[in-house]
Amino acid sequence: MPAADPADAVFAALSDVTRRSLYSLLGEHGEATATDLARELPVTRQAVQKHLGTLAGAGLVATRRSGREVLYRPTPAPMSEALEWMAEVGARWDDRLAALERQLARGRSMSP
Amino acid sequence: MDHTVERELTVPEEVDEVWRSLAQPEWLGDDAAIELCEAGEVRAGERDGFVEEADAPRRLVFWWSAPGEDATRVEIDLDETEDGTCVRVTESRPLAILDGRDLAVEFGRASGDGMGPVALAGGARAGALR
Repeated sequence: MPAADPADAVFAALSDVTRRSLYSLLGEHGEATATDLARELPVTRQAVQKHLGTLAGAGLVATRRSGREVLYRPTPAPMSEALEWMAEVGARWDDRLAALERQLARGRSMSP
Repeated sequence: MDHTVERELTVPEEVDEVWRSLAQPEWLGDDAAIELCEAGEVRAGERDGFVEEADAPRRLVFWWSAPGEDATRVEIDLDETEDGTCVRVTESRPLAILDGRDLAVEFGRASGDGMGPVALAGGARAGALR
């Protein structure tokens, strides 16, 4: 599960260059095993697995079992919190700036 | 990745007049207050905070938060244009993950991939909490 503030875990997870590479590799593959990913990076399979665990802990990666393999895939879910925040804050500023514009327009009509 | 929202409005009034209008808090919402001076109060409903910087009549920076939410930083810049004044608002949410300076440094080094501003956000937050 992501930490109390999902952004914390997300940014901490992505602060590491290997994990960023892993995350973008997963984006390209869609789904991959730790072995597949280790083949494309200069780190061991064990290291890849550990990094994937961190990404999963931040909610950036999800897993499923397929036969004797575990497949990892990127999940965009944690980022949606940031997008939601931006949409909400943006809408509030649209309202406030419209109100400021009306306020100025009222001043205009009152001045001689 | 960037927790920043930007909005712009151009009005025919001159910069001084727009600045004076900012001081009339109605535009901020119901039950609002705004003091255009350093450490002045800013409030809109249950959202409240304080002015970090007031450079009349060009620039206002304040921090505010609603209960249970992270504090955010709002910058309002007034620029003279041919048609009047451009009001530019930037609200940003400093990344709360920067609970250690080490991480900020690490992010800073990893610039070039859009992570650069993180260290700056950490600095701004530290400044506001001083």
